[in-house]
Amino acid sequence: MDPFEPAIIAFVCNWCTYTAADLAGTSRLSYPKNIRLIRVMCTGMVDPQYVIKAFLEGADGVLISGCHPGDCHYINGNYKARRRVKLLKEILPRFGIDSRRLRLTWIGASDGIQFAGIMGDLVAQTRELGPALPDLKMVI
Amino acid sequence: MDQKIGSALVVGAGISGIRASIDLAQMGYRVTLADRAPHMGGILSQLDYQFPTDRCGMCRMLPMVEGEPDKFQVTLKQAPSPVDPDCCIGCGQCSEVCPVEVPDAFNAGLTHRKAVYLPVPHNIPNTYTIDQAACTRCGACEPVCPTGAIRLSAMGRRAFRILVVDDESIVRNSLDAWLGDEEGYTVEMAASGPEALEKLSAAPFHLMLLDIKMPGMDGVEVLEKARVIQPALQVVMMTAYATVETAVDAMKIGAMDYLVKPFEPDALIPKVAAVYDAFQETGYLKRTVGAIVLATGTTCFDPSVGKNPMGYGTVPNVVTSLEFERMLSGTGPDAGRLCRPSDKRPVKRAAWIQCVGSRDLQSGADFCSTICCMFALKEAAVARTVAGDDFQATIIYMDMRTFGKSFERYGQQTWSTDGVRLERGRVHSIAPTPGSEDVAIRWTSASGETREEIFDLVVLSVGQRANDQTALLAEELGIDTDGFGFVRTVPFSDTRTQRVGVFAGGTLTGPTDIAESVIRASSAAVNASRTIHRAGGGLVEKTAVPDAYRDVSREPPRILVVLCRCETSAETDSDLDALSARLKQDPAVTQVVVLEHICTADGWNALTQTDTAGVNRVLVGACRTFTYGKKAHGLAASFGLDPSLIESVAMDDRQGPDAPATVAAIMAGISRLKNVSAIEENSIAVTNRALVVGGGIAGMSAALAIADHGVDVTLVEESEQLGGNLTWLHQTIDGAPIAPFLDDTIGQVDKHPGILVMTDSRVVGAFGQAGHFFSTIETAGEPTTTVEHGAVILATGGREAPTDAYAHGTSEAVVTQRELETRIHENRLDTDAMKSVVMIQCVGSREAPRNYCSRVCCPTALKQALWLKSRSPELQIYILYRDMMTCGLAEAWYTEARKQGILFFQYRPDRKPEVSINTGDKVPVSVRLHDPILDAPVEIAADLLVLATGIESRLPEALALAYGAERDQDGFFQEADSKWRPVEALKAGVFGCGIALSPRSIPEAVATAEAAAGRALTILAVERLPAARTTAIVRHSLCTLCLRCVDTCPYGARFLDDAGQRVQVNPAMCQGCGDCATACPNSASIVEGFSHRSMFGAIEGALVAM
Repeated sequence: MDPFEPAIIAFVCNWCTYTAADLAGTSRLSYPKNIRLIRVMCTGMVDPQYVIKAFLEGADGVLISGCHPGDCHYINGNYKARRRVKLLKEILPRFGIDSRRLRLTWIGASDGIQFAGIMGDLVAQTRELGPALPDLKMVI
Repeated sequence: MDQKIGSALVVGAGISGIRASIDLAQMGYRVTLADRAPHMGGILSQLDYQFPTDRCGMCRMLPMVEGEPDKFQVTLKQAPSPVDPDCCIGCGQCSEVCPVEVPDAFNAGLTHRKAVYLPVPHNIPNTYTIDQAACTRCGACEPVCPTGAIRLSAMGRRAFRILVVDDESIVRNSLDAWLGDEEGYTVEMAASGPEALEKLSAAPFHLMLLDIKMPGMDGVEVLEKARVIQPALQVVMMTAYATVETAVDAMKIGAMDYLVKPFEPDALIPKVAAVYDAFQETGYLKRTVGAIVLATGTTCFDPSVGKNPMGYGTVPNVVTSLEFERMLSGTGPDAGRLCRPSDKRPVKRAAWIQCVGSRDLQSGADFCSTICCMFALKEAAVARTVAGDDFQATIIYMDMRTFGKSFERYGQQTWSTDGVRLERGRVHSIAPTPGSEDVAIRWTSASGETREEIFDLVVLSVGQRANDQTALLAEELGIDTDGFGFVRTVPFSDTRTQRVGVFAGGTLTGPTDIAESVIRASSAAVNASRTIHRAGGGLVEKTAVPDAYRDVSREPPRILVVLCRCETSAETDSDLDALSARLKQDPAVTQVVVLEHICTADGWNALTQTDTAGVNRVLVGACRTFTYGKKAHGLAASFGLDPSLIESVAMDDRQGPDAPATVAAIMAGISRLKNVSAIEENSIAVTNRALVVGGGIAGMSAALAIADHGVDVTLVEESEQLGGNLTWLHQTIDGAPIAPFLDDTIGQVDKHPGILVMTDSRVVGAFGQAGHFFSTIETAGEPTTTVEHGAVILATGGREAPTDAYAHGTSEAVVTQRELETRIHENRLDTDAMKSVVMIQCVGSREAPRNYCSRVCCPTALKQALWLKSRSPELQIYILYRDMMTCGLAEAWYTEARKQGILFFQYRPDRKPEVSINTGDKVPVSVRLHDPILDAPVEIAADLLVLATGIESRLPEALALAYGAERDQDGFFQEADSKWRPVEALKAGVFGCGIALSPRSIPEAVATAEAAAGRALTILAVERLPAARTTAIVRHSLCTLCLRCVDTCPYGARFLDDAGQRVQVNPAMCQGCGDCATACPNSASIVEGFSHRSMFGAIEGALVAM
């Protein structure tokens, strides 16, 4: 049997992590193919609904990744994202979703290598957690 | 205002050059930005981290919205790039096959790269370039390039084509060997006249070497016919001795020279080289510009030259600060792990040695490089985060120069952490440690004892040096450089050279840091603009107005999907067919087209010519998103569709076109496109008037810079006269008198028809946004008035801080620096009656209540001490200091003061001097201090005690708040970003300059004023302010007026309208971050292109293929 391949939705900010992903791509760095990048202008724009929606649609993991603290293109959007992630981590278990399935990272625009590394770690960790859907069924 | 016309040249594409170019372009000029390097960014592309955030953040600088002084003829040598940047897709196959390896200058020589390489690994877009000096022209890269982007024949001498025409094969072959193989030209041969003419008709040549005596058609006849085919062809005749006369005749009909056979290579090669040089010049770019901004910067001092006391290059594990920066970088030699070069062991104990090549008379640097103290502190701080808490940093320094805004607090925070140690001292030797790769440093400490310690790594904080090319550039332009090679400026300006129309930004006029470089760049840009504007133009270069996009807002989405494919195989075809069929299941997808190699010129043409008449959205799927990102506007024009209706997604070329990830990316893109509506162009009208608050030198300079552009200015001054602090200042440290400069500036302001001066006036209230503010102004004895203006500049300045320390106020013999200056100015100081003067620095500065360096007090102390010495050479002067902050070129005065016998005592804040006032006949003041060198108490009797109390802000909180600006914790103007946007508030349209920003000298205040004026002009110079492309809107029917969005907006772009009925968004201030959309509980706040529907669709699309 093939090993479990998790599906991961990554909300990445336009200025830092999306650019880092581009850089990783152009630098020919290999990172897992399980990541689906969704570009947003700022991590502060990521509504908690999007995270819930992603899990409901079958994502096994969700990543929110933006600029480093103090480095947000929009001054403080990443701090706002951090607060929402903290709340989401409280809420998700009540939906039967392990809070470790949601991750928040800071990846700057020039961190192409780090981007590839973090994506690898993320997929490995999510693979260990197994598919998210069984948990969900228990809730429904 | 008048129509902006003309163009400018900016030389040097580092941070200053980029800033100046953006400023000029935003003011409406056509800008040519030139650089020697194959990439932009200068040294900053090598620096990943900047304090105070220890991160970058340069993106914040981006515009948020997408002869005679008026005539300079400039000629730019443009090296033809053998790699076509439009075609290169950055795949790197060329680099893989390149056999040449050279040290990579980007990583400061710590790594190696190929001759075909990426100049900056993290540039986007990133295209390869060829190091023409290292390249052996082996040609391996050319055939492997999948897009045909590499043409070695376009490079250097290969591009120069020579035709050798001779009937003797021995002549042809030896010329081919000399010119082709050895000299590197492209040589073709013809054995007869007709063959030569045939070749000339087929392809262009630059030089023909033509034999005269040939069977059939002779050389002269060939020459005549050749000149018809290629009139520009240069011809050198080759002749036997007997036919020299014929050769002379040939010259009469157009040959340029002749050679008498037999000849040696030495006779031929210089002639060919001369023709080649002339040919190269025809490729130079000639431009006529109205003004020139030079921003060619500085280089780092090379510590290996001269006596090399620091053992750089000889002792292992001694690196420069720039090399250390690369060692910390994720794109550096060890991918961001801190390992030392020799054995790759993790670094745990590192020492920084300051002032290497700075403040060093032996290496000819009687100046302070200004940046290295903060550079070292930052590197130590970043290294601790990279290498872990057990990392120990030691900084060996002479004076810790934390002189800039927020520097002192950053410094205190860094050196108070465990593991960062400051050692005042001077290093005298560095040696390898026997039996290990460690480095031993011996230094003399502040108390004079010799200390020795062993470190894993030693970092040399290398200073800035004038670029060796600066002298050539200066000579070419007829401007002056100083003894250190920096460009000289006119008095009271950091950016105007002696030649009208030529300005210098950045570090070219003296070493400085990022923020000041950016300020000088903006100042240079606005001065360039004034020159062009004053000249009235004549050099119109208008960019074409783009055609209006089709209005598709009322049409249902009809999407064209364009898929790119790299390889042609039955498998790919069937995959693509399957993908097309799958995509077409979505009713919104009306058409799917497969194109080949969009990355090539042919592919791109095919893309732009795709028929889009029946569709109103386009999705391009190809392997490199950014390739299309930068060209999106081009596509928008050829499709007649708004750029927001064109989406490009990355297809992973490592997998087949129907791989789940690819399908998901395309589906997500389609669902985004379905829910995007064409953005209507929002813009707001601009009131073309500026309000400047504060009539000191900064306020006046800003007002003049703006008014010179034909924009009216209202200048409000609280006191009854203009001039601010310059009214009591006597002269500068250089000895330039202040009064004539001040009178001249006031005269210009008074005479300027565009400036309305309001003295005895104060701003008592204000509201509005960028483009249109209303300010209420109260004038003594007159009714209040309201001024409408498009931008405001706060130039409220600062004052000398009052003090009661060191018995100030109890004796006539204890004065502040300002009081001494006033006595000098008013001629009330009897220098003959004094024997000894003591000056105490940092009185109440660099600690509570003013925990910042006031920057001007150290140079002021030197200025006053040197003035006193010049009056009374016998006078004993003692300066008691913590760190002498004589940054940049002011260092020379510190050296001069010591030469003149002025004595300097260093004191620590925990061991301050003590002062007592004596009565009766005794010398009026006694000063006691602990001398660290003698390690003993010292008492000095002084006739005069001068206290440097520093500067405090005069920016009233209410005034800042009225315009939506903020004050920092010290009461100065809070800039949007300390490095990248140093003269503007976060709130658009509000600017600060002069001492209102932070303490600074006159030229620095003028530079900030001009920079603020330039930034303000980007708003004031247009009739309507365009909005950013991605902005937020409000659906009023869903809005419950909870105002959460108003609270959360970091730009203050949202407000409740006058009737209190609707939340409005100022589109010129909204940056589209989406905070409001997330905060809104009713989904009434939407960012264009990122609606909930669009995002949900993207999530569904991304997961549907799993």
